[in-house]
Amino acid sequence: MPDWRKIVLQRLGESYGSCRQDIVEELAAHLEEIYEAGRERGFDEAEALRRTLQEAGDWRVLAAEIARAKPEEDSMNQQRTRKLWLPALASITFTAVLLVIFDKMHASPLTVGLGHLAMMLQLAWFAAMPLLGQTQPEEARMNQRTRTIWLPGFVTLTAASLFLFAEEFVLTRDPSSYMTDLSLRPQHVVSGLPLWLYGAWLLAQVPCGAVGAFLSRRGGGSIVARIVAGAFPALMMLLLFVVVIPISVVVERNAYVLSHPSVVVLAILIWAGGPGVALLIGAAPFLKESTPQPA
Amino acid sequence: MTKRIPSKISRGSAELAILSLLADQPFYGFEIAKQIGERTGGALQFTLASLYPLLYEMEKRGWVEGRWQANHAGRDRRYYRLTPSGRKQLAPLRKEWRSFFQALDALAGVSHA
Repeated sequence: MPDWRKIVLQRLGESYGSCRQDIVEELAAHLEEIYEAGRERGFDEAEALRRTLQEAGDWRVLAAEIARAKPEEDSMNQQRTRKLWLPALASITFTAVLLVIFDKMHASPLTVGLGHLAMMLQLAWFAAMPLLGQTQPEEARMNQRTRTIWLPGFVTLTAASLFLFAEEFVLTRDPSSYMTDLSLRPQHVVSGLPLWLYGAWLLAQVPCGAVGAFLSRRGGGSIVARIVAGAFPALMMLLLFVVVIPISVVVERNAYVLSHPSVVVLAILIWAGGPGVALLIGAAPFLKESTPQPA
Repeated sequence: MTKRIPSKISRGSAELAILSLLADQPFYGFEIAKQIGERTGGALQFTLASLYPLLYEMEKRGWVEGRWQANHAGRDRRYYRLTPSGRKQLAPLRKEWRSFFQALDALAGVSHA
């Protein structure tokens, strides 16, 4: 079977791959079905391929016509990257560095706790940016990805985070401890939270995953979109541990973690792996096929 | 656009064909081309090159809306459905074409039925 995505990319121009991925995917899917129909009609591979490629005619003309018919998407994506994604990444990195500085200065637990809370809020904001970015009338309609991944994922993340904050508050009555147990101090990785609290939090992830997958399915999300929406908090945790925390570890020259990298793996298992499984258990009933209408 | 009907007529008729088809239920691109080809006995045939620029144009005008969904085989496809704005376009377009065929019939004895 030819790689239709690659064929479309080669013929439309590589620039399509980065900013018009949905168009490439759609055209590739169309060609794939024409090719399969040709094969079913008895054409050999070469003939089926030739007939399939004829469908597009002159690819340069097609690219120009698509650009004329759908010109705004490029600039929308570029604008979103320039105005939202890059500043958000810079902001999160800044907060991470600030946390390291707090730590170096032996700031009060309250300051460090608020710093961690700020980090979580920024990650949540990062996740919600596709919504925030749609401020122009032309962009006001939520696109498919927003409806099926970002919005359900944001809801799931918020619910999962609130459970943790609420549990910690009930347990400690001390806001300064919020999320501090995420830090890679060895004693926190395993025993930062009492086991019963961790277990209760894991159980709470099940309905959170269900809500994410349900909202995604309601928005017409594919199976993959539903999985991503359902497991969103775990994915965000994974992002935190794979991107943000390693930066902190290197910057603050955390000797223990640098000499015991397995601590990071353990932390990922506890904070992303376990919740991920619980979230997916909740999402599972909503992963069955539901909506589409075949011709 | 089409191969059997001259381009200017087919250009206008293509929008009507797609709107009419999507008025019944959502379809994705390949199905739209297939359905229109089958239902018109091959008189209207869309190729990839003719279909997608038109679909994107109609989407830009707000007549149709594309959403990624899994099809019956579990593959992700972009299903197009009619928007309320597209549905509003359908009635006047149908009326226009009816008038056109009536005029042609009166003039040249060409019936659209």
